[in-house]
Amino acid sequence: MAANQTYVIIGASAAGLSAACAIVKTEPEAKVTVLSEETDSPYFRPMIPFIISGEKSPADVAMTGQGPYQAKGIDLRLNTRVVSLDTHSNQVKTKSGDTVLFDRLLIASGSSPYIPRDIEGTGIKGVYALRTLAQARDAAQRSSSARHAILLGGGLLNLKAAFALLEKKVAVTLVVYSPEILSQLMEPDDAVMIRQALEHAGLKIMTGRSAKTIVQGPNGVKAVILDNGVDIPCDMVFIGKGVRPCVDFLKSSDMEIDQGVVVDPYTRTSRENIFAAGDVAVTFDPVTGNRVVTGLWTNAAEMGLCAGKNMAGDPTAYAGTFGVMNATQVAGLPFVSMGQVHPGSGDYEVHRNVSGNAYRKLVFSKEGKHLVGLVMVGDITHAGLYRYIMREQRDIRRVKEKIIGQTLTSAHLMYG
Amino acid sequence: MDQIKEIFVRKDLCMGCHSCELACAVAHSASKNIYEAMGEHPMPKSRVYVETVSASVPVPILCRHCEDAPCMHACIAGAIHRTADQAVVTDADKCIGCWTCVMVCPYGVIGRHLEARKAYRCDRCQDRDQPACVSACPTKALVYQTVTDFSKDLRRKAAEELSRGEGR
Ligand SMILES: Cc1cc2nc3c(=O)[nH]c(=O)nc-3n(C[C@H](O)[C@H](O)[C@H](O)COP(=O)(O)OP(=O)(O)OC[C@H]3O[C@@H](n4cnc5c(N)ncnc54)[C@H](O)[C@@H]3O)c2cc1C
Repeated sequence: MAANQTYVIIGASAAGLSAACAIVKTEPEAKVTVLSEETDSPYFRPMIPFIISGEKSPADVAMTGQGPYQAKGIDLRLNTRVVSLDTHSNQVKTKSGDTVLFDRLLIASGSSPYIPRDIEGTGIKGVYALRTLAQARDAAQRSSSARHAILLGGGLLNLKAAFALLEKKVAVTLVVYSPEILSQLMEPDDAVMIRQALEHAGLKIMTGRSAKTIVQGPNGVKAVILDNGVDIPCDMVFIGKGVRPCVDFLKSSDMEIDQGVVVDPYTRTSRENIFAAGDVAVTFDPVTGNRVVTGLWTNAAEMGLCAGKNMAGDPTAYAGTFGVMNATQVAGLPFVSMGQVHPGSGDYEVHRNVSGNAYRKLVFSKEGKHLVGLVMVGDITHAGLYRYIMREQRDIRRVKEKIIGQTLTSAHLMYG
Repeated sequence: MDQIKEIFVRKDLCMGCHSCELACAVAHSASKNIYEAMGEHPMPKSRVYVETVSASVPVPILCRHCEDAPCMHACIAGAIHRTADQAVVTDADKCIGCWTCVMVCPYGVIGRHLEARKAYRCDRCQDRDQPACVSACPTKALVYQTVTDFSKDLRRKAAEELSRGEGR
């Protein structure tokens, strides 16, 4: 057991705080310091669209003391950006020049939005790549007098932002380069119902188009010029083109980076006393075993919890995550997407089913022994059961008819 | 420390009468009265589910208030927490109806109030001495005990069966 260790965590979000709470729970006397470059106290990042819409206040989305984030006595240092890591002397350096020593370190610096270089004018006022509470506050203010927003990218982040803006009576146009929205989460045919619901809710969607230039006016952004030369006036632009792990401050260290920080199943880096978790870490898909870098709260919280236990001397293997694993509800339609959702014409057994207001796609392995992917739209009953079956790679042949017929319950798995 | 009581299922005793479901829905209604509850909007929902296994064997399924509950850690709104007596509960005011908890619950026991867009599940009837489903079960297939007492009872029952030559 590690007694009286000094734990330092970089990043005070899902992964960092889950780890901090797990450390305190395992080792109540531990000294845990969490460094965050943000000036806001930790908050539930996925909730920031509600700040734009005005449905929630910053206090409503604060993490401390909510959900599993109950640990006391954590030394949280805001406005403290780490600029370098020295793995030989076990210390990190902050932007203000301070040195923080650690026995054990967790890198939980998350990810930041990817800004395509081929779009001109992304630095103009009124252009957002939504990630922080501070940005959401700013966008909330601007949206109060805005009339039209152009959202670049057709992913979940932009859909959430779109509904926040509609709530503020701002017209929204989604400009999507892919042939269909949500292309990371499903195939075009799977998205038909969702697209209809979005358009019905008042979103304008242009697919197969991209932005070339964002144009500046006297009050920040005033228009976007598309790749076909069309010029659309707007007062806000949102870039939702995915995220990249925050690893810049590790460049001078000897951490192994493959997009994100590479760790073993125990969330440990190549250094015995340094761990990583969340968006910044490279994890693995439990089915394929392939490396995945992902942007999921679920992964960050669970992996952070594992990392915290491992750091405090309670060895806990992480079960990995599907790169795709999302649940949400937009325009009145709930949907879930997880695992191998792009079977294409590959070697899979695929079942599609439309009934009433629901659509379902099940992807089984070629020999039909495992469930490997799932899209549910409209009705997401028992989604967690399927996730369990997929993640544990259960041989499903005995219950396959029940899966296809949507009659499977956990009773079948526990007692069947 | 006092051990916490939990709801345990003795599945051999379940006759599939669904009394637990009814009692649960009523206990979670506004009126707490069966006749009025049936007319409420949204309709009160049960958080215990009597499912059938192969050969129509009934079995009640409900939230296990898991250690390291996946739903609690996955919740993107901080709406799920563990109470002092170890129940994992969803705070309807904080729930935004994103269904992330539904996606990660391996037991499929988190329900959805579609109209209200709120997730709900067994809260072990925080305001009652004994959960309503347990009180309502005519065969004691549902029991409210500490782990220690429950396993003691199981062992005693097994011993009795053995001594009567009924060992399975
Ligand atoms: C609007 C929105 C909606 C989302 N919705 C969902 C959803 O529904 N489901 C889902 O699964 N995921 C969702 N996500 C993604 C989810 O928020 C992230 O996957 C999650 O926050 C990752 O947590 P993390 O702890 O790994 O990192 P982050 O949340 O990125 O936090 C890392 C922290 O570290 C800080 N940091 C970085 N570098 C340094 C440094 N050098 N020094 C000090 N501090 C540093 C950062 O400022 C940040 O505060 C959403 C994201 C957004 C923006």
